[in-house]
Amino acid sequence: MLAYIVRRLAYGVVTVLGVLLLLFVLFFAVADPDDIALKAVGERASPDVYEQWKVNHGYDKPLLMNADHGVLEAGRYTDTLLFEHYRSMLTFDFGRSDADDVPISQRLRDGLVPSLSLTVPLFAIGLFVGVVFALMVAFFRDTYVDRAVLVLCMLAMSVATLIYIIGGQYLVGMVLRWFPISGYDPDLSVTFRFLALPILIGVLAGFGGDVRLYRTVFIEETNRDYVRTARAKGCGDVQVMVRHVLRNALIPILTNVVLAIPFLFTGSLLFESFFGIPGLGAITVEAINGNDFSTLRTMVYIFALLFILGQILTDISYTLADPRVRLH
Amino acid sequence: MGALRAQLVCGLALIAALASCTNNPYPPEEQQSRVHYAAFAEAPRTLDPAVAYTTSAHVITANVYDTLLEYHYLKRPYELIPALAEAMPQSRELLDGRMAFRFRLREEILFQHDPCFKANGQADDTRRVTAQDFAFQIARLADPEVNSPVLENFSVITGFRAFTELLGERRKDPEFAALRIDRQYEAAGGVPGVVVLDDREFEIVLDERTPYFIYWFAMPFTTPVPWEAVVYYDGNGGRDRFADHPVGTGPYTLSAYEKQFRYILEKNPLWYGVRHPEWQAPGATFPTEISQEDIDTRRIDPVYAGRALPFVERIEFRRESESIPQFNKLLQGYYDQGGIINESFDAVVQGDRLSPEMAERGITLDRAVEPSVFYIGFNMEDPVLGHDAGERGRKLRQAMSLVINVERYLDVFLNGRGVPAQSPLPPGMFGYDEVYVNPYRQVDVARARALLEEAGYARGIDPQTGAPLRLTFDTGNTSAQSRLRYQFFVSAWRGIGLDVEIAATTYNKFQEKVRSGAYQIFQWGWIGDYPDPENFLFLLTSANARSVNDGPNTANFMDDRYDQLFAEMKNRENDPRRLEIIGEMLALLQEERPWIELFHSEDYVLRHAWLRNAKPMGLSYPVLKYRDIDPQMRADLRAQWNKPVLWPLYALILFAVAAIVPAIRTLYRERQ
Repeated sequence: MLAYIVRRLAYGVVTVLGVLLLLFVLFFAVADPDDIALKAVGERASPDVYEQWKVNHGYDKPLLMNADHGVLEAGRYTDTLLFEHYRSMLTFDFGRSDADDVPISQRLRDGLVPSLSLTVPLFAIGLFVGVVFALMVAFFRDTYVDRAVLVLCMLAMSVATLIYIIGGQYLVGMVLRWFPISGYDPDLSVTFRFLALPILIGVLAGFGGDVRLYRTVFIEETNRDYVRTARAKGCGDVQVMVRHVLRNALIPILTNVVLAIPFLFTGSLLFESFFGIPGLGAITVEAINGNDFSTLRTMVYIFALLFILGQILTDISYTLADPRVRLH
Repeated sequence: MGALRAQLVCGLALIAALASCTNNPYPPEEQQSRVHYAAFAEAPRTLDPAVAYTTSAHVITANVYDTLLEYHYLKRPYELIPALAEAMPQSRELLDGRMAFRFRLREEILFQHDPCFKANGQADDTRRVTAQDFAFQIARLADPEVNSPVLENFSVITGFRAFTELLGERRKDPEFAALRIDRQYEAAGGVPGVVVLDDREFEIVLDERTPYFIYWFAMPFTTPVPWEAVVYYDGNGGRDRFADHPVGTGPYTLSAYEKQFRYILEKNPLWYGVRHPEWQAPGATFPTEISQEDIDTRRIDPVYAGRALPFVERIEFRRESESIPQFNKLLQGYYDQGGIINESFDAVVQGDRLSPEMAERGITLDRAVEPSVFYIGFNMEDPVLGHDAGERGRKLRQAMSLVINVERYLDVFLNGRGVPAQSPLPPGMFGYDEVYVNPYRQVDVARARALLEEAGYARGIDPQTGAPLRLTFDTGNTSAQSRLRYQFFVSAWRGIGLDVEIAATTYNKFQEKVRSGAYQIFQWGWIGDYPDPENFLFLLTSANARSVNDGPNTANFMDDRYDQLFAEMKNRENDPRRLEIIGEMLALLQEERPWIELFHSEDYVLRHAWLRNAKPMGLSYPVLKYRDIDPQMRADLRAQWNKPVLWPLYALILFAVAAIVPAIRTLYRERQ
């Protein structure tokens, strides 16, 4: 097990290095550092300001090789944008925002709590509702309840998230007036008032896909021998579903769940933007709109890092959920 | 039974909790407070008054940083009044042809409370403003490291440019560069044209007669800035950057600045208007000259005349990245005023008036034409369209101007929000003639075809190729919506046989094209900094040609006569001769057509009845101190408009119970 984890982590490191190379190509080779600097300081800035800005943000170095250093000097390769890019990302020293010079790590810290306060309850409630409904539908499989829910799920999956958001804000916030349409308050005692609507809409938006997936898993399990055995031993239907089917269906559910966990930290681009939640998703959208390349680069790197972490965690969680699974 | 009882209690508690739900995003205790609620889409990049040049930044800086002069809140055309200055400055002409403005400060003006003062050796957390603080700020404008966008505009101050260069040179000496910033300026001798006479009096000397320069003293660029704040807020050791932490003398202070979420302005107890209402200072007293129109349209409540400012205790800006939720919250009464989203425009405005539903809510529509001009420009250095094409090029430009139907453009793309432009000058500007009709800004396809024929492009055919004349419309905007807009122009030109292609590239590539002169037609806009025709007509002077001096004259229009007239016009007061010159300049532009003037943008603002004295301003201006809120009216109307509709909730709960109870019964039976 330990050997597997070490090996997976080693693969992960290699993948991260590859991701960083891809990021470098995208952010430095495609987007010219001179253009980034020009956008940041404005066209009218004096050459001194322009050069100073590049120095402050580390854009003054050559891309791959620094000819100012001798062939045998380390600086020839370390005093470059490529090396600096790897160093800053691998040491989590993200530097300052291209847009307003605020330290990116501070921005990440500020955005983490609002993001988690939305994504964690949304994830937990969504999972609970999805599993409960899927169990219910699997219980009533091949009946009109099953078919009706399936049709509803298909309909729910066909609607774009944006429609859920705009429609939900209008219906719940404007017509029924249950919750504020948008907003946020860091005071945890009142945060719920602002998060209720995005959570409700988020659960509804994810409902169709989740229920369909989990239903398939549960139905597959209900056809297995151990279910018949349990019934033969006198277990009631509800007991069979909750105690036996649910437990044995955990692996595919876990795949879905564990993969999603890392992304709880990155927030939600659409939800945070529409509901005015100052999380990491909103920061990413702002970085895109504001040509803030350094922040955007960091966010993409963190997404990639969390994705890789999610993959490793998923594999490990298999053994925890099902002792028959052995990792080599 | 115990479990059932617990479930019942939980259910009742849930119903009680949901019954108390509300869509009010603000704390209930604020209901009766004089808090003005507004929204912002994106936080400004900087609040440094030497750099901030956007409307979103000026919403804060203009209210936190007081200026020497400001505009009269109600008078149009705009009129300057003294603010931090005791009176309007005396201007005098020096013997060598230079000009000087002498300002005298009000006594005992204090900076807001801030820790930066004690941290830099002051006895208190504030200090008195002196003339040196103005000199310091003007030196900052000249400082190349500050990177002020108005460096060029202030170069008319004697020695300003030389000071910029001197600072750059001196900073190469590490000893000089290590000095505190105010000491660096002092060691470099300061800007020679800023002469501090004593603690309250100083003079600004300009290299040439430039009367319109006075308007810059009504903008935060020239506000007094304490060196202590610039030194202290360096972004290190957990301290803010000065760009995020304004320290001013204005009616409000920025008490919270959470860029992703909200910012809050609170009444400044040290503002001179609060400390000395007995002065009845023009910038600290509600004006008494109220027009009947302002009263009739309920923009201004005359009972405020002569009252001491400010009225609102706190202004809270909440972030709304998307316009739809912001607009919905405005309709719910949770924002006191706001714009109209395109999606709802037809439902809100019918014809020229508000829909009955809006009017019933007591909402008022305020319209204000902004001091702006949007236009299509021709690159006058292009061999086909520009100067070198002579009469032929002129007629081609005239023909192209004659087919652009701007009224239709405004209807289709901007819900009619704009005034068709006949010249670069927007309404309200000296020299703007309400009855002037530009003959080339009226749609006349027949005349356009005739002009094309005269230019040698009969039916749009280029005789050299035998095919329709091929031109390029260059843009740095690649969005689908913009493409539709450009398509509108291109279709009009295709109607007279011209083959105009849209060349949409990234903004950087477009800038590169502009720098290298590789463009033919473009669309651009300009929003005025101050209400003087100079601020619009300079856009077409040779000195500002993009190709020569990298200036804002992107059309590269260069005409000696125009330049001569401009030089004469810009240095004059608003007298009949100035009007005459402007008329001649506009006539020249009318024939030459370096631009196809499109429109002057118009701002539509919806205002709730409880918001008082919200007169729309075209210019960035400290307006918040004039506004007031009737909190009782707001609380009553909000409560009336936002009663929660709970029956669907109860129905849902009943449905859930009906669905769950059989399951619980089954489970119970199984356990038996």
